[in-house]
Amino acid sequence: MTKSSAPIRLAVIDSDTGFVRVLAKRVEAMSWQLRALDAPVPPHELVAMRLNAVVVDVSMLGQRAWEYIEAIGEGIPGLGLIVCSVQSTVAQRVRGLRLGADDWVSKPCHPEEVIARVEAVVRRRKRAEARVDRGPLVVGELEIRVDQFQAFVGGHNLDLTRREFELLRLLAESPAQVLQREEIYQRVWGYAMAHGDRSVDVFVRKLRQKLEATSPGWRYIHTHFGIGYRFQPETDRSVERPGEVAAEEPAASSTDAEEATPNGTGAGIASRA
Amino acid sequence: MDLIQEAAGNACRATETLDELLADYPDRRHLAREILKQEQNGDRIAHDILHRLHENGMAPPFAPTDIHALTHAIDDIVDYSEQAADSLGLYGVEAPMAQAQQLTAVLAESGASVLDAVTALRDHSEIAPHLVRVRELESEGDRLSREAIASLFAKGIDPMVVIRWKDIFEVLEQAIDSCETVAHILEGISLANGRS
Repeated sequence: MTKSSAPIRLAVIDSDTGFVRVLAKRVEAMSWQLRALDAPVPPHELVAMRLNAVVVDVSMLGQRAWEYIEAIGEGIPGLGLIVCSVQSTVAQRVRGLRLGADDWVSKPCHPEEVIARVEAVVRRRKRAEARVDRGPLVVGELEIRVDQFQAFVGGHNLDLTRREFELLRLLAESPAQVLQREEIYQRVWGYAMAHGDRSVDVFVRKLRQKLEATSPGWRYIHTHFGIGYRFQPETDRSVERPGEVAAEEPAASSTDAEEATPNGTGAGIASRA
Repeated sequence: MDLIQEAAGNACRATETLDELLADYPDRRHLAREILKQEQNGDRIAHDILHRLHENGMAPPFAPTDIHALTHAIDDIVDYSEQAADSLGLYGVEAPMAQAQQLTAVLAESGASVLDAVTALRDHSEIAPHLVRVRELESEGDRLSREAIASLFAKGIDPMVVIRWKDIFEVLEQAIDSCETVAHILEGISLANGRS
């Protein structure tokens, strides 16, 4: 059992319903969160699920198995990948491990062994992550500290909830990019966004209120009508240039503003790593 | 008749309050308490109506069975509105759904039309346009509710979101249906008493 307080989020891509059922029972008893998938999903969907690890039966991947393993290994470095197969040669296993798989298990295998291997992979990744000192992300007056799940302005704590922090982090790590609401929801909440769900707008509004209270001369999050949000720190003076339109997103927030020029005078984004 | 008017007014206020709650949710989540008070007030008015109906020497404005049915139907509007407001807190809903906001807007208009219809019955003015409007709104609510529930079953949506919102959409639809039930009863009373 992992000593981490957060439950492990695991996905299993396998058509063997008996194996998945037994595995599900055991991991649920351990309070893990399991997503059973009956077909491979694109890597970007795995990112959205915010998983710690994925167990995949290589027979589910067909002829594009190596491509898929490589895509996960290279594209989602934080995700542990455990491959299962009924039959495999040494050459296949070596190739899979070199392409990005963290472990390879031969079937039939006991679910307990799979769980232990997942735990080992997740544990190793956490140790590796802990060794990487990312340092705070500094944007405008804002200092985002991933190690504390918190943001500060001049040493003053913004008192962000976990969800608000994850949203701020996601936006700040994609500076000057317009992120669609659906993408934001997928990556922060870990699920597809239901049509009409206003969660992203509500949390952006909460975040803005906290940012405005602690950093009043700055605007960080900009609304793009009908699309989503863009993170770019700007001072009020740079926003109030003649000819620039500031309008409100009707259903989102009274402080949301449409940007007439997507790249206004913005402050740089720096990491102190 | 004044008490029935009071009940309809209370139901109208409850639907309006629910609409305001959803429009600015979660900022105005405190309005759920106000709706609870309106629900308790509705129960009191319903009790008064039924108590008055059975008092000796009182001549009811129309058939006692109609008064019973009307009282319960108006009370249902408030009960379902309160249930929807309560569910938001009970399920820990963090943010509204656009479809729920549309449904509460329909419900608020329907509640206002019910009040207009009851007022028209009391004042012997034309009731039919208000009843027609309630039926139109019920159809609109039915369509919105079906589309909202269907949208929850798109691939990859959090099952907890599906469970919460399916339940809330259904309760909102029941509240709108209760307005139509009131309209049916009012139409029956109107016809039986030679009014239209």
